[in-house]
Amino acid sequence: MNIVLARIDDRLIHGQVATVWAKRTECERIIVCDDDVAADSIRATLLKQVAPPGVKSSVVDIEKAIRVYNNPKYEAVKCLLLFTNPTSVLQMVEGGVDIKTINIGGMSFKEGKRQITGAVSVNDQDVESFKKLNEKGIELEIRKVDTDKKVMLMDVLK
Amino acid sequence: MLAILVGTHGNFATELVKTCEMICGATTNVRAITLVPGESPDDVVKKYETAIAEMDTEEGVIFLNDLFGGSPYNAACRLVINNEKYGIVTGVSLPMLIELVGIQLTDEHLDIKEVMDKAVEAGKAGAQTFHASAIKEDEEDDL
Repeated sequence: MNIVLARIDDRLIHGQVATVWAKRTECERIIVCDDDVAADSIRATLLKQVAPPGVKSSVVDIEKAIRVYNNPKYEAVKCLLLFTNPTSVLQMVEGGVDIKTINIGGMSFKEGKRQITGAVSVNDQDVESFKKLNEKGIELEIRKVDTDKKVMLMDVLK
Repeated sequence: MLAILVGTHGNFATELVKTCEMICGATTNVRAITLVPGESPDDVVKKYETAIAEMDTEEGVIFLNDLFGGSPYNAACRLVINNEKYGIVTGVSLPMLIELVGIQLTDEHLDIKEVMDKAVEAGKAGAQTFHASAIKEDEEDDL
């Protein structure tokens, strides 16, 4: 699998992803990697309907995402991976998926979270997972769209 | 760079550009031109001219209007008829504007007529339908 972008964005496929990122990365497939979303058949079905023209979309749990990553059939496929949270990313990385940089587009505010930038709010578990990803030398950059300036997550987490 | 002028009745143009920026990030060579009650097509022509004078028009100027035959459109026609690097597309929509902002950022250097075709295509492709009956498992798409 050729990962052209790994992005954390809990809105998953929406305007910025479907128009800007899909085009800029020239991805062939968008894969939503999330256990909860994969288990929610209505949400998964609807996500499959909103792939931009010419792009396939799939919703899989983390275990399956790792299997797909290792499947030689998809070796050359340009994939845009979407996650709702950094813990899922960490599971993938620990499962052997080679991700060098993670784009953080949006993590919405909920009770028990703290806001670190306009678009990004984190809870304790998110912070823990981000720290582990950072320790592995993975770049964690916050950008809504590709023309925004990268803000390094670890700088605003302090 | 391609200059994009969104010209509409009322504040539609202003809000459409703002909405586009919500999705694409800040734009640089895009202007909203409005026709508010009491203004004439002459006023709109002046607004277009003032905006164009301040913009980068090296790769042409595209006018995106709301209604074919409306005053913002008629005013744009007066400028377009005298310049081959200018063009108009009507039925402006968010997908159309996003497509053009995307074109601005690429190095493709399209001819104004190609830009116009892309705008029409994006406007048409932006009109999709969804109904529960349309849901089917597409096995080919499954991983």
